[in-house]
Parts: sequence; structure tokens; C-alpha cells
Amino acid sequence: MKVFLNKTEINIFKGARISELVLAYSERSYKMLKSGKLCVYDRFGNLTETDGPVYEGQVFFLKRAE
Amino acid sequence: MTKAHYKFYLQHTFMKLKAFFLFAVVFALFSLGNHTVAQKHRKTTEIIIMHTNDMHSKIDNFGKLAYLADSLRKMHKYVFLVAAGDNFTGNPIVDMYPDMGYPMIDLMNMLKFDVTAIGNHEFDMGQELQNKRREQANFPYISCNIDASKAIVKQPEPYVILKAGKIKIPFLAIIQLGENGLPDSHPSRLEGITFTDGLTKASEYVWLKEKYGMLIGLTHLGVELDEPLAKAYPQFDVIIGGHSHTTMTKPMMVNGVMIVQTGSGLKNVGITTLQVTKGKITDRKYELVPLAGIKGTKPEVQAVIDKYNSNEEMSRVVAYAERAFENEEELGCMMTDAITARMKIDFAFQNGGGIRIPTLPQGNIMLKDIFRLDPFGNQVVTFKMTYDEIKSLICNAYNREKSLDMVPSGMTYTVTVNSEGLCSDVEMKDLSGKLLDESKTYTVGVNSYISASYKFNHTDPGTTNYNTTAQTLLDYLAEVKKVNYAGVKRVFEKK
Repeated sequence: MKVFLNKTEINIFKGARISELVLAYSERSYKMLKSGKLCVYDRFGNLTETDGPVYEGQVFFLKRAE
Repeated sequence: MTKAHYKFYLQHTFMKLKAFFLFAVVFALFSLGNHTVAQKHRKTTEIIIMHTNDMHSKIDNFGKLAYLADSLRKMHKYVFLVAAGDNFTGNPIVDMYPDMGYPMIDLMNMLKFDVTAIGNHEFDMGQELQNKRREQANFPYISCNIDASKAIVKQPEPYVILKAGKIKIPFLAIIQLGENGLPDSHPSRLEGITFTDGLTKASEYVWLKEKYGMLIGLTHLGVELDEPLAKAYPQFDVIIGGHSHTTMTKPMMVNGVMIVQTGSGLKNVGITTLQVTKGKITDRKYELVPLAGIKGTKPEVQAVIDKYNSNEEMSRVVAYAERAFENEEELGCMMTDAITARMKIDFAFQNGGGIRIPTLPQGNIMLKDIFRLDPFGNQVVTFKMTYDEIKSLICNAYNREKSLDMVPSGMTYTVTVNSEGLCSDVEMKDLSGKLLDESKTYTVGVNSYISASYKFNHTDPGTTNYNTTAQTLLDYLAEVKKVNYAGVKRVFEKK
């Protein structure tokens, strides 16, 4: 399925979670996410936990943690 | 005026005055009474709803939640505690408890939860166990778009009415469905249950707003569906959401509906405060409270958490190793055999980095050994793959570290390494020693880490059955009871 992270289209398996989406996007970003340096936000600007599910067509953004 | 006339005049005037005085008193009393009634009608009732969602068996913060709930219950007359689904799956202490899930409901009962929505992970334990947990619970499980009339699981009520004095507050629950029309759980656990699209089903319950003057959604839809729900049904005053693990520090306002959600894993609790005047909600406030910031804990709840966390259950024997596992390859072969056996597929692969212990001694294999071996909670993902695509997986995996990586089930393989130390070819054979048919398409299982992180060719995007690799291994070991992988070798390289 196609999901968008930082405006990049990522092709990922159905049933994937946020952490796996970020891993598919970039291993470096994944490590920063795991260490708390980055956070994931949905298209409404809400913070999303890394264990949240991901669905076709969803849009997410990585941002530096505050 | 004569004396008689004067006397009559005085008496008459006095009577009129008396009548007037009586009238004035009655009028005053009546007005006062009316004013009191008017005041009563104008009186505002404050209602506190504490809510959490997607706790996923995480119990460590229950003591703090209890402390906070008790504090609020002492200060406020009407306090409710509700959950928006997915109370299970995510902590072996709860999920692998001999009576699966028991600790979670035990703790939710101690905290006097008022209601929970049914989430997709409520089905993970199977329908019979869900019934058992629901019998254990002192609070109802609700969902309006589940028809379990032909299933083992008990039919849930669509909504519940919680009472705050004379005020009645309906909570309507809705569960999310995937593209296949089912919630995200293994289809085998949903047999006999019919699900209806929640956004459509909600239309059958908007009468609750008319009847009770207010309507709270307790949804397990995810914020992407809470938003259109709010747009379609402004009758909702508040949507307390779950499923998407969204942490809202402030509420989302959509079409006049307040949408809230608190993340996952009981890291936070939401406190939604309603002001109700003349039977209608006149004000709504939401606050996200991180439980890490709560310094107090309720001792009796903490004692129960500590008892569960003492890990006695983790020493439960799950199988017997007839011979010791001497290396990661032998362990990896057991992990992948579990996948091919349980999922009845052609091949499976395990990355070396995901085999987290180097050896396992002969003797009893305990539950904790499995979670030491495979602690990540990765899901099993299956792909339909061609011969060349499987080669690309093995070859690209080799090239990551210039060493053998993928441990297989269902085949052996030999990597040919070129002068630069990179994989140039892979020869694959089935377990009888025959070369694999290059024209066939195979079903291959890997973990979700490989699916997301490894670059390999695959037209099929892959799909998960929502089982973790650890759970798959446990199910396999429960079936075979004894294992012996001494000397098993399935990966080779040649230069």
C-alpha cells in the first residue's frame, strides 16, 4: 500500500505500523525516532505514537521532538 | 359620613388591606418558589470523563491512574472512567498469563472503569476468551457495528447510558473496519461475526441525542475516520477516540464536535469536562494528563501490578529442547519453521539481527526464553514472490553486511560471492535437495522488520495476519512440544 511520509511515497505492506513506515523511509530517521529525537505527526498536526497503524493513502510528517 | 358608615368603611378598607396583604404574601412566596425552580433549571452540573485508549496490556501506570481517579472522585460528584478499545495485546505479562488477559480486567475492575469500546485487539484472544474477559469485567463492552448473533462471542450492546444524577449520558461505540470489511485481527478469530461500516451504522443511533440531549462517541475508528464521523453527525458532542494512537494535547474541533484521543500504552489519560445546563452540554474542556507526571500511586493497585510483574508466569515451560541450540542459525531455523508450519506457506526467512540470543541449552524452554529470543513484537508478513524476487531478498540481505543473513525454512541456499565480497548469485534447493522451480511463484513469510527495512524486489506489497513472530513460535512449540535443531544447517556460501 502507498503511504506518504514527508511528502515521499512509501510502498509498504498492509498492516504496517508507524515505526515500520519510518524504517522503510530511512534507517537513520528510524534510529532518531527510536531515540526520541524525531516525532511523527498526522495530516491534522496531531502527534502519533510509533506503534500506531498505518493505512493506504495516509499522510504523515517527521519533525524534531520538542 | 355617619358613624355606622365610617365603621363600615374602616372594616371594608381593613379587609381590602388584609386581602391585599395576603395576596402580596402569596405572590411573594409564589415568585420565590418560581425563582428557586428557575435557579434549579439554570443550575450547571459538571461531569468529568476520564478516558484512555489503546492501553495494549500496559499495566505499569494503573497505580497512578487509580491515584488520579480517586483524587478526582473525591473532589467532583460525577466522574466517569472509560476506555476506547484495544485493552489487550502488547505485554506478555498480560497476554501470556495462563488465563489470557486476566490481569488487565482485574486492574480495570479495581479502578472501576465504567465502560469500554470493543477494539480490534479485543478479538486477539479469540471469541471464547473474550467472553470470559467480559464476564470478568464489572463494566460493559460496547460496539454498535458488530453483529455476533451467529458467533461464539456474546453480542455487545451498541451503547451504554451513564447516569450523573438525573442526567443521562449515552456513550455510543464504533469499531474500525479494514478494506476487507473486518477489524484488524486474524480473520480466524472473527468467524461468524458480521461487521457493518461504522459511519453508516451511526445514523441508526443519532436519536440518542434527541432523547438524552447529548451524545458521546466512544470510538475505535482512528482519527482519520473520527473526522468524517464528526462531519456527518454533528449530533455528537464529543468523540472519545482510539485506534490511531494519536496523542492530542488539544482537542480537534470538527463541525462543532470535539474529538479527543490520548495516544497509547496508558502513557496518558484524557480528562474531558462537560458543563450541563438544562439537560444540554453548554461547555466542554479537554486536558491531556501524562501519567509520568503523577507522583502518587494507589498502594493496593500498585501491589497488584507488582505481583503481576514479578514474572512468575514467564517461567512457564512452553516446550522441550532435546538438544541444545548451539548457534543463531539453529535458533533461526526454529523461528522460520514456526512460520511455514503455522501459516502453511512455502518459505520463511529470519534476519540474523533479529535472533537476540546466541544459544539455548538443552532442556525446558520457558516463556521468557521466547521473549528473549524474539523481543521486538514484529508481525509476520507474507509475500507472493517469484524465484528471482526471493533471490533478490537473499542477495540484498547478504550485501548489507557482506555475510550470510537470512535464515530460511523450507529450503537451503548457497550464495556465490564475487571478488568484491558481494553476492552475485544464489542457488536455492528444496528440503529434498532439488533445485527450486524458477517458473513458480511462492508464498514467503518474513517479519515486519525485514518487510520495512530490507530492499528487495517484490511486486506483492505484502500483508500481515496480525500475529507476531513470537506468538507464531509459541503456537508452533505448543503443537510440537519437543524440538531438536542440533546440527541443522541451511545457509552456505561459496567464493
